[in-house]
Amino acid sequence: MQAILAAEHVTKIYAVHAKETTAVRDVSLDIREGEFVCLLGTSGCGKSTMLNLFAGFTQPTNGRVLLRGQPITKIEPRCGMVFQSYALFPWKTVRQNVEFGPKMQGLPAARQRELADRYIAMVKLSGFENHYPAELSGGMQQRVTLARSLAADPEVLLMDEPFAALDAMTRQVMQEELLAIQEASGKTVVFITHNIDEAILLSDRIVVMAANPGRVTAVIENPLNRPRDLVAQATPAYAALKSRIWDLVVGDVRGALAGRAGRA
Amino acid sequence: MNAVRAMTRSVAIPLFALGRPGGWSTRGSILLLNVLGVAGFLLLWQVATAGGFLSPLFLPSPGQVLNEATQVAATGELWRSIVDSSRRVFFGFALAALFAVPLGVLMGLWAPARAIVGPFVSLLRPLPSITWIPLTMLWLGIGEAQKIAIVFMGTWVYILVYTVESTKRVDPLLIKAARNLGASDLSVMREVILPGALPGILAGLKVSLAISWSCVLSAEMVAAQSGLGALIWNAKDWSNLALVLVGMVCISLTVLVADLAAGVIERLLQPWERHRHG
Ligand SMILES: Nc1ncnc2c1ncn2[C@@H]1O[C@H](COP(=O)(O)OP(=O)(O)OP(=O)(O)O)[C@@H](O)[C@H]1O
Ligand SMILES: [Mg+2]
Repeated sequence: MQAILAAEHVTKIYAVHAKETTAVRDVSLDIREGEFVCLLGTSGCGKSTMLNLFAGFTQPTNGRVLLRGQPITKIEPRCGMVFQSYALFPWKTVRQNVEFGPKMQGLPAARQRELADRYIAMVKLSGFENHYPAELSGGMQQRVTLARSLAADPEVLLMDEPFAALDAMTRQVMQEELLAIQEASGKTVVFITHNIDEAILLSDRIVVMAANPGRVTAVIENPLNRPRDLVAQATPAYAALKSRIWDLVVGDVRGALAGRAGRA
Repeated sequence: MNAVRAMTRSVAIPLFALGRPGGWSTRGSILLLNVLGVAGFLLLWQVATAGGFLSPLFLPSPGQVLNEATQVAATGELWRSIVDSSRRVFFGFALAALFAVPLGVLMGLWAPARAIVGPFVSLLRPLPSITWIPLTMLWLGIGEAQKIAIVFMGTWVYILVYTVESTKRVDPLLIKAARNLGASDLSVMREVILPGALPGILAGLKVSLAISWSCVLSAEMVAAQSGLGALIWNAKDWSNLALVLVGMVCISLTVLVADLAAGVIERLLQPWERHRHG
């Protein structure tokens, strides 16, 4: 089967004041249609950079990024981004933010409203439709961002730590909702997280990345069957998978800390 | 908690508010102090002039000023002056805004436009509006058009500079987000750039509105038959100091009212800023 999203030998170098940072080097990755993929890795290993490339926000310095075989050369609405920093429109109410995608697609007003109501309810924000983002907590804003992306109905959801600001209970509810949506709609999801449990719970495959330079160190098929609920988390298979991923990540964390200490 | 809020509210008299919630810090007490201060000043003024400490040639008494005010108000001259000046401000300011806001947005978005207009902005900005009086009089005479032109010349550059800056500062992440959600160029403009730049543009308009008043008054002082500036200048020629003071107070009040109205409009246009006021 053809990959819906692909990175072919992608290198991205940022230059700021003549200082070059290799955000990712020679990353190749195929993402299959309908798949739930997690990108896992320490801070600065290029996870957001990969999503920005997939969304068409930046172009690779070397290599190619493809959507259904076509190079992504401009901002791509088919790859909807859930931003790490929310990026809500401050001058729009919760409802207007969520309606934005449907509105841009030229859907009738009644349909826009219907979609907005549905996704606002899904992220448990009914009753806050007429609030402005500044009047919401961080976790609530994060959920509005999620609802806004879902309402725009992209083929691929690119999610940059979308649950980072949520408390543990809300996070679990949102994870379940997201899985339900993904299973029902067959959407492809690329999901960034720092959290190994979250990666195992959600994903079909886990892409482990390391920093300096950002690169893919392992791609792990998730052998656990859904639903991977609390019962599943108590099984030896779960523990084995978790410690395997931990071993892959921990070297990079230690290395990063040592590197920082060495430089200091 | 209450004390902290009270303190921040009464910055004018923090000493009295310290650690005394509900003391000299409630709304009512502040108003009382405001009134007492003004009344005390008026009393001092009255005593100084009526008691002969100050010659009426230097400063008329509050009673004389009030007397003068009721007289010019009764003849309708005062209202006519206020209306004439306000009308000139309105047209000059509106023209400047209609010209400078779209140009500023264009310059904010498109560097070549910035490069072309930039030198003119740099050269025109330091020129006080009164320096335009000779040229505008030559071109337009001393009628309404000339007053409006002075207001226009005195304000458009400020409106432009504010608009360019606030357009450039619109968060690029929000523009990316809008495009990612399928927005066209036109939609990005209407849904993101304009509302994003609006607070800065409105701030610039408010500053320029205040400036436009000083423009119109100086133009009226030099050459005009009507308006608050002319009222003051003519009163000086007739040595009617009371009328000069009446004119000055009227200018203060009119500009204050205009500023209040601008503030109300600003809030209405930006409901999303309401959490800052509540
Ligand atoms: N716009 C940019 N300009 C310059 N350097 C950048 C830019 N974006 C990212 N980088 C650099 O690229 C590297 C990877 O950044 P990236 O944001 O992709 O990391 P990340 O894995 O998402 O980290 P985190 O988990 O902290 O969000 C970092 O060293 C960062 O400094
Ligand atoms: Mg990131």
